[in-house]
Amino acid sequence: MESIKKGVVYLLLAVLVVTQLYPLLWLILYSFKTNEEILSGSFFALPQNPRFANYTEAYEAGNYLQYLFNSVFVTVITMVVVIILASMTAYAISRFRWKLAPVALLVFLLGLMIPMQATLLPLMTMFSKIDILNTRWSLILPYIAFQTPVAIFIMSGFMKGIPHEIEESAFMDGASVYRIFRSIIMPISVPPIMTVCILTFINIWNEYILAATFISSERFKTLPFGVNSFVSQYAVNYGNIGAFLVMGAIPVILIYFILSERITKGMVAGAVKG
Amino acid sequence: MEKQIRKSEKNESANRRPLKKTALILTAGVLAVGLAACGSSNSNGGNESANNSSATNTGGTSGGDSGKKVTITFQNIYPDATSPANKMMKELVAQYEKENPNIKIELDSLNTDQQKLKLKTQAASKEVPDITIVNPAAQMKPFVDAGLLAPLNDMLDQNGLKDTFQKGLLDYYSFNNNVYALPDGNNIEVVYYNKDLFAQAGITDVPKTFDEMLEDVKALKAKGITPIAIGEKDTWTGSFLFMNILLRTNGGPGFLQDVLDGKKDFNDPAFTEATDAFQELVQAGAFPEGATSIDANAGGNIFKTGKAAMFIIGSWETGNIDASSVAGKVGAFSFPTVNGKGDVNQFMLAPGSGFAVSANSKHLQETKDFLNFFMTNYPKKQFELKNAVGSGQIIEGDFKAAGYSDLAINILDMFKQVTGGDLAFDNTMKPAVAQAHLSSIQNLFVQKVESKQAAKEHQDAFAANK
Amino acid sequence: MNVLKVRWWTIGIFVLPCLLLYIMMVFVPIVVSGYNSLMLWDGIGPNKTFIGLENYRNILFNDPYFWPAVKRTLMYAVFSMLEIPVTLLFAILINRYVRRGNTLVSIYFMPVILSVVIIGQLWKTIYNPLDMGGMINGILNSIGMEEHMTAWLSSPKFAMYSLYIVSLWQYFGYHLLIQYTGVQNIPTDIYEAAKIDGADGFKADRYITLPLIVPVFKISIVLAFIGSLQAFDLIMVMTGGGPAHATDVISTLMYNSTFQEYKYGYGSALAMTLVIICLVFTVLINSVFKRVENKVS
Repeated sequence: MESIKKGVVYLLLAVLVVTQLYPLLWLILYSFKTNEEILSGSFFALPQNPRFANYTEAYEAGNYLQYLFNSVFVTVITMVVVIILASMTAYAISRFRWKLAPVALLVFLLGLMIPMQATLLPLMTMFSKIDILNTRWSLILPYIAFQTPVAIFIMSGFMKGIPHEIEESAFMDGASVYRIFRSIIMPISVPPIMTVCILTFINIWNEYILAATFISSERFKTLPFGVNSFVSQYAVNYGNIGAFLVMGAIPVILIYFILSERITKGMVAGAVKG
Repeated sequence: MEKQIRKSEKNESANRRPLKKTALILTAGVLAVGLAACGSSNSNGGNESANNSSATNTGGTSGGDSGKKVTITFQNIYPDATSPANKMMKELVAQYEKENPNIKIELDSLNTDQQKLKLKTQAASKEVPDITIVNPAAQMKPFVDAGLLAPLNDMLDQNGLKDTFQKGLLDYYSFNNNVYALPDGNNIEVVYYNKDLFAQAGITDVPKTFDEMLEDVKALKAKGITPIAIGEKDTWTGSFLFMNILLRTNGGPGFLQDVLDGKKDFNDPAFTEATDAFQELVQAGAFPEGATSIDANAGGNIFKTGKAAMFIIGSWETGNIDASSVAGKVGAFSFPTVNGKGDVNQFMLAPGSGFAVSANSKHLQETKDFLNFFMTNYPKKQFELKNAVGSGQIIEGDFKAAGYSDLAINILDMFKQVTGGDLAFDNTMKPAVAQAHLSSIQNLFVQKVESKQAAKEHQDAFAANK
Repeated sequence: MNVLKVRWWTIGIFVLPCLLLYIMMVFVPIVVSGYNSLMLWDGIGPNKTFIGLENYRNILFNDPYFWPAVKRTLMYAVFSMLEIPVTLLFAILINRYVRRGNTLVSIYFMPVILSVVIIGQLWKTIYNPLDMGGMINGILNSIGMEEHMTAWLSSPKFAMYSLYIVSLWQYFGYHLLIQYTGVQNIPTDIYEAAKIDGADGFKADRYITLPLIVPVFKISIVLAFIGSLQAFDLIMVMTGGGPAHATDVISTLMYNSTFQEYKYGYGSALAMTLVIICLVFTVLINSVFKRVENKVS
C-alpha cells in the first residue's frame, strides 16, 4: 500500500519535471532552427541542420556583450540597494517601538498594488525635469522603488521572529543600534536576503517597458532590447531571437542555481514564526 | 514551540557564514566597478574635445556648424541588423558622420509597437527625440496639433529634395501648408498569389470579380491549401483587407472622408455590403484557422513558406517574398471588383511611416541638415539594396537591369496603373474610433455578425468620439 | 512585539532613505495618475480639461468592456489562489517522499525565470490549430476526437481559459517554492513529539503542518492575488486581448485606452480603479486570515 502510494507520488513528480523543464529544452532546439522550421511549428521536431549562425548573428547583431554588461550593472546595483534599504526599513518597522510602524508597513505594501505602466508617463516627466533621462539612473531608481515593497514584506516578516535576547545582550555590552543592525541583524538575515535577491533579479532581468521608454542610447540598453531588435517592421527573425534568449537566460539560470539552495530556506523563514 | 523554531533557525544561519562573506565581497567589488561605470556614463569626457579639433580641420559640410560636438538622436523602427532597412540606415549614418565629424547620430532602434509607446510617453513631457517616426495623416495629427513637430518646408527646398518625392505624396504629411514628416515609402495593397498552388487547385486565371475569388477560395480549400494568409492578432491586417472591399463596394474612394464630412454614416449600404462580403470570405474558410492569435509577421510567413495561396497586403512585402522560399513562384494582381462595383485601378494606399523632426530639438538646424542628406541619398541606397519597390521617391534607374525580380517589375507596373484610392482606417479616423473598428473587424473572424450590428458599432464609436 | 525604544531620528535614518525614494518613484506618479484620471486628455497636447469623476462614471456605467474585464481579472485571481492548496499538497508530498527536495523544487521553479516571450511562443505551439502543428489538437486528432479540435487562442469561449492554464503552469513552481519553504521550516522535532502522541502521516499534517503554515499560505495568496490582477505581459504576447476583447483584463484595457486610443485620462482612471480593487481585496484577504489565524491558535 505504502509503496503504491510512493509510486504514484513519484510518477506525478516526474511528470511535473517534464512539463516544467520542457520549455528550456524547447528553447534550445528552437534556437538552432531556421525560420521556416520554426514557423512550420511542430512541437517536438528537432532542427534538421542545426543552424549555429543564429548564435553568431544574434551575438553580433544583438550587441550581446554591451547589453549583458548593462543588464548586470543595473540589476546588481538595484539588488544591492534594495537589500540595504529594505532591510533597514524592515528592521525599523519590525523591531523599533514607534506608533507609525504599522502605517509605514501599509504604505509600502500599497506599492505592491500599483501597476508599473501607470507610472510611465509621470516618471518620464519627472526624469526629464531632473535631467536623468537616458542614464542608468532612470532605470535603477524606479527599479529599486518598485522592488522594495516585496523586499520589506518578506524581510520584516523574518525579522519579527528574531529573538529579542540577542539584541538585549548586545545593548548591555554597549553596542549602538547601528552596530547591532550591521553585525547581528544583517548576518542573521542572510536567508531572506537571498530570497529578495532572486525575486528582484527575476523581476528586473526581463523588464522592458521602462527600459525601452527611458533609455535611448546603445550604451545603456539592456538585454531585452536585444530580443526585440530582431523584430523589425515587417519581419521577425525567430531563430536569432531564440539564440539571443538562450544567451540571455544562461546568466539567470546560473545565478538561480547558485542562490536556490539558499532561497528555499529563506523565502518565508520568518513568516512561520509570525 | 516558538523557541524551538527560533533555535533551529539560528543554527542554520550560523552554518551559512562563509556564503555571507563571499556575497559581501562580491557586492563590494561589483559596487566599485559599478560606481566607476556610472561616473563615466554621463559624460563623453575627453573624446569630445579630441574630436573637436579634427572637426575644424576637415570642415563640416553642414550648416550651423559651430565646431561643437553635436549629438542627434534618431529614433527609428529598423532594429533588425540583418534587414536591408537597418543596413541602409547604418551606412548612411556612417557616411554622414564621416563627412561631418562634429555630428554624432545616436540610433535608438525600436520595434514598431515599442516606438509608438515611447514616442507617446515622450510627447507628454515634450521630450520628443531629434528625429522620430510618425504615421501619416490622422495618426500624426495629434503630434502636429500639440506643436511637437517642426515644419520641414525650408529644408525640403535644399538640394532639390522636394522634387524627389512622388507628386502628392507629401500631402499626407502636411497640415496648414507645412510638411511635418518625410515618408520612408509609398505602397499599395495588392494580392500576391502563389502560382504553383493556384495550378494545384486547377485555377487557371487570377480572379477578376469577388465571386470568382470566392470560387477560388473554395477550390483551394478543397485541396487542403490555406487560401489567404493573414495574421489578425495585429488587427490592422484584417482592417486593411476589409477597407479594400469597402473601396470597391463604395464604387470608389472617399467613404471615410464622407463620414467625417457628415455626408454619410456607417449605416450606409456600401459599408454593410462590404461587411457581408468580408464575412463571405470568412465563412468560405479563406483564412487560416486561429487567425486572431497569429502575429502579422507569422501570418505573412504562412504565405512565404508556401502554405497559403494568397496574401493580401501592402507592396512592401515584395522584397521579403523574393527573399523567401516561394521566390519566383509568386505573382500579384489588383483586388477584384465586388458585386460589379469599383475600379481595379484604385488601390488601398499606404504612404509609409514618416521621419519627423522635434520642434524642441536643441540642434534643429543640424538635425534638418542630416535628414536632408539622409532623404536625398535614401532612394539610391534603397535601389542598390533591392529594396526600392514602394519607394516614396522618384527613382531613376533600370530595375530590370539592376536584377529586380519579375514580381518586383510586376508590382512596379501596377504602381503605374494607380488612378486613386483610400488610406487605411487608422490613418483617416481618430485613434479611439480606429480601435473600435479594428476590434469590430477582428470579431468578424471569430463569429458571424449581422452587418447592421457591425455598422452600428462603428457608428456608435464614431458618434462617441466626435 | 517591537522592543527597541530609539530616538526619533534613529528611526528616520533607518526608514527615510527608502521611504523618500519610494514616495518619489511610486507614490508621486500614482498621485499624478490620480490627478490625470480627472481630466479629459489625449496625453500629447496641452489641452487638458477637468471633468471631475466623468471618466470613472464612464468606466462603471458606459464601458461595455469594463465589467467583463473585471470578471476575467477576478477569475484569474480565483484560479491563481485555488492553485495554492495544490502547491501546498505537493510541498508536503515532496517533503515526505523526496530526499533532495530542494533540487526538485528548483527545477519546478524554472518557468518563472524564463522571459514571457519564450513562454508565449512555447504555449502557442501547444494551442495552435492542427495545420500549424498545435500539440493539443494533434493529440485530439490522433485519438479520434477531431470534433473537439479548436483554435484555442482564437476561440472567444476558450481563449481566456487557455491563458489561465499557462499562468497556473508558470507560477506553479513559484508558489510551490513558498509552500515548500514553509513546510521545511517547521522543525522536525515537533513531528517527533507528535509521533509519540500517536499523530503520524496525514494526521500530523492536519494538526501540525496546516496550522503552522497559515502565515506562509497567506503570503502566497496575497502574492497570487496581486500578481494575477496585474497580469499583462502574457496576455499581450499571446492574444493581445483579442479576439474582439475576449481576453481583455483591466490592465490590457488600461494599456489600450492610454496608448492606442489616446485617452490618457481614461486610462489613468482605469489604473486607479485597478489599484482600488487591489486594495479592497487585499484588506479583505487579510481580515479573513486574521480570523483563521485566531481560530487556529
